[in-house]
Amino acid sequence: MDLNYSSEDRAFRDTCRAWMEANVPRHDLKTLDERKQWHRKLYEAGYVGMLWPKAYGGWGATAMQQAIVQDEMARIGAPPTINGLGIGFIGPTIIVHGTDWQKERYLKKMLTAEEIWCQLYSEPNAGSDLAGLKTRAEDAGDHFVVNGQKIWTSSGPIADWGILLCRTDSKVAKHKGISCVLLNMRQPGVEVRPLKQITGHSLFSEVFMTNARAEKRDLIGDLGQGWAIAQTTLGYERGGNSLGRVTRYAISFQQLVKAAKELRRNGRPLIQDSAVRAKLGKLYAELEVQRYAGLRVLSALSKGEGVSSASSITKLSYTEFEKRFYETALEILGPHGHGMSATADYEEIDTSSGEPGTWATAFLWSRAGTIYSGSSEIQKNIIGERVLGLPKEVRADRVKA
Amino acid sequence: MDFAFSSDQQLLKNAARSFLDEHAKPATVRLLWDDARGESESLWKDMAQLGWLGLSLDEAYGGAGLAMVESAIVLDEIGRAALPTPYWPTVLAATAIADAGTDAQKKRWLPAVATGDARATIAFLDGDLDWSPDATATRAEKSSEGWRLSGAKRWVPWAHVANVLLVPARTAEGITLFLVDPAAAGLALAPVQGMDFGTRWVHVTLDNVRAAETLGAPGSAAPLLQLLMRRGAVGAAAEMLGAARRCLDMAVGYAKVREQFGQPIGSFQAIRHKCSEMLLEVENSHAAVYYAAWALDARADDADVAASVAKAYVGDAARKVCGEAIQVHGGIGFTWEYDLHLYFKRAKALETMYGDGDYHRELITRMVSGV
Ligand SMILES: Cc1cc2nc3c(=O)[nH]c(=O)nc-3n(C[C@H](O)[C@H](O)[C@H](O)COP(=O)(O)OP(=O)(O)OC[C@H]3O[C@@H](n4cnc5c(N)ncnc54)[C@H](O)[C@@H]3O)c2cc1C
Repeated sequence: MDLNYSSEDRAFRDTCRAWMEANVPRHDLKTLDERKQWHRKLYEAGYVGMLWPKAYGGWGATAMQQAIVQDEMARIGAPPTINGLGIGFIGPTIIVHGTDWQKERYLKKMLTAEEIWCQLYSEPNAGSDLAGLKTRAEDAGDHFVVNGQKIWTSSGPIADWGILLCRTDSKVAKHKGISCVLLNMRQPGVEVRPLKQITGHSLFSEVFMTNARAEKRDLIGDLGQGWAIAQTTLGYERGGNSLGRVTRYAISFQQLVKAAKELRRNGRPLIQDSAVRAKLGKLYAELEVQRYAGLRVLSALSKGEGVSSASSITKLSYTEFEKRFYETALEILGPHGHGMSATADYEEIDTSSGEPGTWATAFLWSRAGTIYSGSSEIQKNIIGERVLGLPKEVRADRVKA
Repeated sequence: MDFAFSSDQQLLKNAARSFLDEHAKPATVRLLWDDARGESESLWKDMAQLGWLGLSLDEAYGGAGLAMVESAIVLDEIGRAALPTPYWPTVLAATAIADAGTDAQKKRWLPAVATGDARATIAFLDGDLDWSPDATATRAEKSSEGWRLSGAKRWVPWAHVANVLLVPARTAEGITLFLVDPAAAGLALAPVQGMDFGTRWVHVTLDNVRAAETLGAPGSAAPLLQLLMRRGAVGAAAEMLGAARRCLDMAVGYAKVREQFGQPIGSFQAIRHKCSEMLLEVENSHAAVYYAAWALDARADDADVAASVAKAYVGDAARKVCGEAIQVHGGIGFTWEYDLHLYFKRAKALETMYGDGDYHRELITRMVSGV
């Protein structure tokens, strides 16, 4: 056991910090073009696509280096990159399962955010039970004709391409008739309707496909392999964001402390109230434990140990913590935690969502993490079955299968 | 950055596990629960032989020159076995003598601890339920023939088997740590039966008790006591972690075989999700314990915070995990015959020691807010 950063990692952090200090934009990025420019600059510095192999335009860096970059970005409050889903998981899916042509055509532009990608998985009636999806793709010679509806599509309104799960065979068992294909979002058969989220912004959307066209050459893997592909490649981002996330919590925590020193009750600052101090102490303890656990995962990754099941534990841990964190913060802050724009210094925090950073936005966003990418309940099923080896539940679709 | 145990550390862990699996079975633990003294002399000598008692001591005194991570590894396994033993009070007191003792004091006590010939304990608490050295109420006065101590120390672990007591007391110079002979005139020991029969507490009354020696200079003990509290807290957290993991393992094992409604109860989500949450708490606790232990060894900037984080977090987590294990077992988990309560009670007893959760949460807030 040695929890010191290696001298290479420390040197890497110094370089990264210096770069961020010199290059992070001093003003808010307002337009998509501005955000793309910033993304591109980060990419060229070697800070985007870090875990991708060099052959595909990536940097072949380590998970620890990626975590350090995320950490430094959080520390300085750098605007987030875009195309996270593409770079985190659609690209890696193409790298693992795609054809040479697909790699050549799509990967570089994904990394540089010249083309924005979205994930077309969830449907109105297929969420956790994704394999129940109904969107159909029919063979029309050199292409598929796609009909159906997707929902909750993040970045839908700005996406150029999507990775689509669709049914290509309705006669076989539900997991078997699914295929994975890349879909051009900029075509008449695809209609994107933004959905307003509880934050008031519209970062996700509904996507309607009416006789939309997907090329055969854009099929990933074989026909009917879609489910297996969706299951196996959950990406290169694992562990890579753990430090940045915790640093963001830690910076928010310091804002909370500042608020507790300034706001007063019973004629004295809140921080003099032992009930408030106990809450703060509990939050900080939990926050640090998230950091220690993140370091443990990074250490395992650096030894090439698989952490696929552990990633369910990590995801469950930090998403549930995030809810408790902002709930407690808002309890302490009272109405000061409700502003949708900041009126005092301590009301401002970095949500890294691309939305204006206040406690209220962060609090609202914290409700999303335990739903997307496999809800907390689904994670607990996975941990119970795959890590603890507990018996599978009796489920109607399993009985039939 | 390497969070895994080194191969030596892993060997130590494996050896501790197999030794305790064989020699500290629940039946043994139960015998010790019923024993007046409460611990086993032969197991103590075995632990000396295995090198556990001198683990953190200098090789010059018969120790292994290792540190907190190794102690935590052993304590993790001791917690897993719920072994009744004055191990941690003794080893912790020995670190105090190693840190602050004179050559003569070190020579007198450290080899004796390492060989299993001496036991020691620290009397942190006075009447107030306050773990801060500032709360020390016991007084010591200097007279022509040495120091005289008067006061009442509470909840002193394993004082009835100790050969030396480390007693903080208030003097004209400030808080001072004394080496006190438990057989000295005017010193009375009153055992207290807590719910964990494997944790023996003793109330110690000092009525004008002579103490020949201080440990360190008079008035200098407060920082040392704080350091001992931090070590103590991390050690207790390691032991709670072991107890919690044992309860998790028992709950998962039971959920696989116990059937109701024609299915193993582990197939019910209410049970499976509980077990998953327990695993999450245990894994986070592992990270917290070993991070804090490493930070103490490495004298990391955040070692103080990490110690409090470990104690506060693992105290809550172990209580939850051990309690939920009883819930998963249903009625049998509530019986004296079933072993779960051994671990449940061990974790619960340690939760109160070396500063409870609220004490450490308060410390954390002070440290990180500068208030
Ligand atoms: C902010 C945000 C962004 C998203 N972005 C995308 C995106 O880009 N692309 C995309 O395809 N999808 C996206 N999603 C959708 C997300 O993946 C789904 O919401 C998620 O899979 C849950 O599906 P559902 O909403 O249909 O809820 P349901 O599956 O209907 O779940 C409802 C409740 O039932 C519980 N439940 C369901 N099944 C079980 C079970 N077997 N055991 C126990 N409990 C169960 C769930 O945990 C949940 O509490 C996004 C969601 C959010 C909130």
